[in-house]
Amino acid sequence: MKSLKLFSAVMLLSTMFVGAAAAKSLVYCSEGSPENFTPAMNTTGTSLDAARPVFNQLVQFVPGTTQVEPGLAEKYEVSADGLTLTFHLRKGVKFHSGVNGFTPTREFNADDVLFSFNRQWKDDHPFHKVSGGAFDYFNDMSMPDLLASIEAPDPMTIVMKLKSPNAPILANLAMDFATIQSAEYADFLMKKGTPEQFDQIPVGTGAFSFVEYQKDAVIRFKANPDYWGGKQKIDDLIYAITPDATARYAKMQAGECQIMIAPNPADLEAMGKDANINLISQAGLNIGYMAMNAQKPPFDKIEVRKAIAMAIDRDAILKEVYQGAGQKAKNPIPPTMWSYNDAVKDIPYDPAKAKEMLTAAGITSLDTDLWWMPVQRPYNPNAKRMGEMVQADLEKVGIHAKLVSYEWGEYRKRAQAGEHQMAFLGWTGDNGDPDNFLAVLLGCNKEGKPNGNNIPKWCNAKFQDDVVKAAASADHEERVKLYGDAQQIVADEVPWLNIAHSTVFEPVSKKVSGYKVSPLGSHVFVGVDVAE
Amino acid sequence: MLTLPTFVAMMFVTFVMLRLVPGDPIEVRRGERGITPERLASLRHEMGLDQPVWKQFGDYVWAILHGDFGTSIVSKSPVTQEFFALFPATVELTVCAMIFAIVIGVPAGVVAAVKRGKFLDQALMGVALIGYSMPIFWWGLVMILFMSNTLHLTPVSGRVDLIKYFYPHPTGFLLIDSLITGPKGAFIDVVRHLILPTIVLGTVPLGAIARMTRSSTLEVLEEDYVRTARAKGLSPFRIVGLHALRNALIPVVTSIGLQMGSLLAGAFLTETIFAWPGIGHWLVNSVFRRDYPVLQGGIMLVAIVVILLNVVLDMTSSLINPRLRHER
Repeated sequence: MKSLKLFSAVMLLSTMFVGAAAAKSLVYCSEGSPENFTPAMNTTGTSLDAARPVFNQLVQFVPGTTQVEPGLAEKYEVSADGLTLTFHLRKGVKFHSGVNGFTPTREFNADDVLFSFNRQWKDDHPFHKVSGGAFDYFNDMSMPDLLASIEAPDPMTIVMKLKSPNAPILANLAMDFATIQSAEYADFLMKKGTPEQFDQIPVGTGAFSFVEYQKDAVIRFKANPDYWGGKQKIDDLIYAITPDATARYAKMQAGECQIMIAPNPADLEAMGKDANINLISQAGLNIGYMAMNAQKPPFDKIEVRKAIAMAIDRDAILKEVYQGAGQKAKNPIPPTMWSYNDAVKDIPYDPAKAKEMLTAAGITSLDTDLWWMPVQRPYNPNAKRMGEMVQADLEKVGIHAKLVSYEWGEYRKRAQAGEHQMAFLGWTGDNGDPDNFLAVLLGCNKEGKPNGNNIPKWCNAKFQDDVVKAAASADHEERVKLYGDAQQIVADEVPWLNIAHSTVFEPVSKKVSGYKVSPLGSHVFVGVDVAE
Repeated sequence: MLTLPTFVAMMFVTFVMLRLVPGDPIEVRRGERGITPERLASLRHEMGLDQPVWKQFGDYVWAILHGDFGTSIVSKSPVTQEFFALFPATVELTVCAMIFAIVIGVPAGVVAAVKRGKFLDQALMGVALIGYSMPIFWWGLVMILFMSNTLHLTPVSGRVDLIKYFYPHPTGFLLIDSLITGPKGAFIDVVRHLILPTIVLGTVPLGAIARMTRSSTLEVLEEDYVRTARAKGLSPFRIVGLHALRNALIPVVTSIGLQMGSLLAGAFLTETIFAWPGIGHWLVNSVFRRDYPVLQGGIMLVAIVVILLNVVLDMTSSLINPRLRHER
């Protein structure tokens, strides 16, 4: 019955927009259906992209960059001790009206901010358990460990107190999980007895309001006339859900969509030559690596890890596996990220020297395993092929690597438990802060035990000290220096072999203007226009 | 008679098989990020995944008996809600594909049987064999590139032009909705969107139906009553159309019933290529996500539909063949 009512409401709403043919529309060929429309509950790019047009955060990323700027907070201050963040909320911001029968009676204020964070943070919040209550990003970004309190001294001010200074928190707050939702809409649905609709039919303050979602078919939005950043040039934003990459490209060619996600690497050359398409590319905020388990002999010896790194021909891997859509990595963070240490010397490909070093370390023949991921990722488009190539390279220096793989969930779990000797994995950044790579992927806890995502199981006291100090520092220059030093330590100790940072390609119709590819892999349509 | 045991057996086999497949629904969703053992245990407890399998199965059967097919682990929506939102698209495409296959396959089979051993027979059966063995993914992409991108005759994918036509879908069957609530031109647009997926999905059954019709017709043409009809001086058209075809169609109708069942849940590739929002794509996606409730509930619901469909086809066979009625 509830679903029927929901269906009727959506249909009633949709009748209001019959005849929208004259409006200016932008069609984005997406790849799948969202899990729901509450960003705080999602971790997949598909789901986060689907909700993004509707919402804002207190601070936000400048489109096309990882730079943070004011959003729903028109300004903010960080106290000298780094423990207090004060956000002054933007006045006159309106929530979308008319969606799912909801008409806001007030403008955005601190209640909405408190609602949005407390829902994720407090187990006893009335909406915490609605729709399953899994707020993965909030936990992944260690928000419960960071936050001491969030308070609203007045309706237009939010004071966030931290347990310890944390410089990356502003970048965290620009992420999708920190989206601000309407507390009044939540009350409205709770009174109606349909709280689960809160996550299915979104109401926000964003540039576009939600109109309709048909699973596996389409998501429709319309420009919000009251958007605090000004009404958008396009009237309708349509996500045409098209799972197959070749079909997406065919739709681009036929003019059925103007922007598409995730092109086939094999189509890139043709797209580059297409007179109607701008093939925009940007270095991806990611790293693909081969971890060597530093807790298992002989990988506990730096010389052995260095020799193995030296034995692998990464140029061949880039050509064969990435097909040109990637760049060789020498640091764990990509070169577009601030604090990238360009002074680090990359490990050369030198199998003769590698063999020499292995012999010096007492290894003339070694049987080991090499794990390859059973999934395709931007940072590793074909782990099996990569495994075969690395296996062949290692054979030349007397290392016999057995290729091993597991079901994806199992693979990650076993790798995190350190069952491997050598394993491929990678990471795509969340917020553009080096802490999100260095501390997450190579960090250890206070007892000197590697964090879960530390696949090489490598701990270095100086490295740990540097990244902890950098995260706590409010001085940007100091952070750059500390992260630069940390990268040098990684280069010296080679806990993993940096393989590549992939390049993100996005085909965009030449009729489209103002679109910027996000280094974070998100799709943002604010400020985009399309020629008639 | 065997319907209920079949249904129960399918429920049990589906349930057990899903749990034998490696991979945990929570672990799969977490990807590179991983999850702490405590959090994993807590989520598994909330979902009831920490219970013994027999207990989970008992709870599942009890829920089904109460009409509850579960809630998707991924979207948190009821399985029945998702199924009924997607099922009309699958039915529409399957029915169109089957009509296409029957309308072309049956006459092709009959002509091939009548012209047995001649060039036309060999040509038609050659084409049918190619159709039957066609790799659907390749065939779909070839059709898109040729018909849509080169000749510009049909849209690439989807069910309707998303920019031009935006109207309510009270039934979910766009051929019907476009006539009831759609603006002018919507029906034609829906038909144009159906052409390519119909051809692609209908190609394999077309090949099967044509070959089945041919062999069945050939068998019937050797029967005594056909010889008698010839001896009576009836025209070849009357002999084949009136006497032979009616009997020859009995195994073909049974085959159509089986094909419909497999198309209803097995149109995954066609649905993926043509961005067709149907249950095939939905079910396969749920395998990748280990969304147990969707898989279990979806398969059960498809099974119910297929069983009902076969009952209807059994009745149809009785209408075609009076002997079946008398046997009963």
